[in-house]
Amino acid sequence: MVQKPNQRGATRESIKATKHNWPTRTSFSPSKYFRQHQTTLTESFMRLVNYPLASVMTIMVIAIALSLPGGLYVLLKNVQSVTDQWEQQSVITLYLFPNLEDTQALALSHRLSAQADVASVEYISKEEGLRYFERSSGYEQIMSSLPENPLPIVLRVIPKQAVDITTLSSLQALRDQLAAQKEVDYAELDAQWLQRLANILSFGQRFVYALSVLLVVAVLLIVGNTIRMAVESRRDEVLVMKLVGATDAYIRRPFLYMGFWFGVLGGFFASLCILVLSWWVSAPAERLIDLYQSGFQLQTFNADEIVLCLTISAFVGVFGAWIAVNRHITTIELQ
Amino acid sequence: MEIEFQRVGKKYESGQEALSQVSFHLQQGEMAFLTGHSGAGKSTLMKLMMMIERQTSGQILVDGVDLRTLSRRAIPHHRRRVGVVFQNHQLLLDRSVFHNVALPLLVSGADSQQIAKRVRAALDKVGLLDKEKYNPMALSGGEQQRVGIARAVVNKPQLLLADEPTGNLDPKLSAEIMNLFQEFNRVGVTVLVASHDLALVARMRHRVLTLNQGRMVNDGGFG
Repeated sequence: MVQKPNQRGATRESIKATKHNWPTRTSFSPSKYFRQHQTTLTESFMRLVNYPLASVMTIMVIAIALSLPGGLYVLLKNVQSVTDQWEQQSVITLYLFPNLEDTQALALSHRLSAQADVASVEYISKEEGLRYFERSSGYEQIMSSLPENPLPIVLRVIPKQAVDITTLSSLQALRDQLAAQKEVDYAELDAQWLQRLANILSFGQRFVYALSVLLVVAVLLIVGNTIRMAVESRRDEVLVMKLVGATDAYIRRPFLYMGFWFGVLGGFFASLCILVLSWWVSAPAERLIDLYQSGFQLQTFNADEIVLCLTISAFVGVFGAWIAVNRHITTIELQ
Repeated sequence: MEIEFQRVGKKYESGQEALSQVSFHLQQGEMAFLTGHSGAGKSTLMKLMMMIERQTSGQILVDGVDLRTLSRRAIPHHRRRVGVVFQNHQLLLDRSVFHNVALPLLVSGADSQQIAKRVRAALDKVGLLDKEKYNPMALSGGEQQRVGIARAVVNKPQLLLADEPTGNLDPKLSAEIMNLFQEFNRVGVTVLVASHDLALVARMRHRVLTLNQGRMVNDGGFG
């Protein structure tokens, strides 16, 4: 083309003039936005329906992966509700220093029974202790051969709270407080078996949490891989969309919805699995429980927990899809 | 749409120089052909206009705006103003003719009534209104190319780019396709058609830009 200095100069000026009028974005319209989302939601669901075998396999893998921690959670919940109902009279036994005078011990006993969280204090003198010991242990001869009574004064403190799994820690605190008294040599809370049970339960809880995290990561990978293959199989479509002016968000959207559906349906079938399983074990479990106590109801997934399960799985589905799509959509470029 | 190239160069990372010092000015509503042997840089030039590639030197002004100033986010909105037709039709075979043509409208968020109206108008223009429910695979090469054209114009673009649109069509069909482009040009669309079919280009009697090894060697004449 023949050089036209005047025209070129004019064009340059018009750059400045028009630069900010360039329509780099179409105006945002909420109705348009929701219409697009609604369309994508149904279309992505139909896409799953159109590939039933692949979809069902993915959804079932997700469902199984989620029902494992879900089922363990229900089991734990039941064990906890059983143990919550087991309680017994709690006793804290205080062994006082052997050289303590009776008057000092009595003063402590009075002081403790005035404490708000203590129901009563039983005073066991050295002599009573010895008699009790002789009666119950069968060591009469040995005891009588000793030059003096080796037993200390003992206070049996009965706290107001009965001991069960929920009050264990506050009773332990009370024991520690009592042990700190200057007259007290050693304090013992008689709840060893309960402590063991609490430890086992907290171990179980952590085990379920760890397993849940692992399996959620597994679901993330399953969804990510499925979406990666979906993006790859729709490579041509992505290219054409880019050519006709689709934004990255528009291209990403159907895949995110696909992840959403995988998540929600996986969560739904996981919940279903757990409900069916708990129904299946309910009869023998209730018979077993009846042997020990009555009034216990077998618990299963309640509505809140189903909603939580669906929410978590939907979120994991979308997140897995998001990671996969972001990684792969940038590698599909027009050339 | 008005296009101006100012000493535009494109050098690939491999060191190959696809375009160098290319300057031309396409006025609003103008129609021109772009010719040259294969590998002369025709496709590269079109890709620069679509922002599929970025130039390595010089300036490309579209309606006075330097394309280099557009961010990645602005690219889709630029592409919606440009219709493209390629030799390989790039039609999607998993959907009907109607849904292929509807794609640019879907992407820009048109509602379904608007889409139906505009898709039928575009298909009517290329003479394929009765084939909207067909799968593109069931159509002949010429018909597929016309579906591609319908898709390129359905969004009422201001610039129509066609890269070898008649590549594997017989002369009669080629002439029909060219006439279509001429019709769009008549209603004010700026049209640039890349073609190596010199005889056909000469018959059309429009401005011809010729590239040779990445340089603009002829601008004006009728080929």
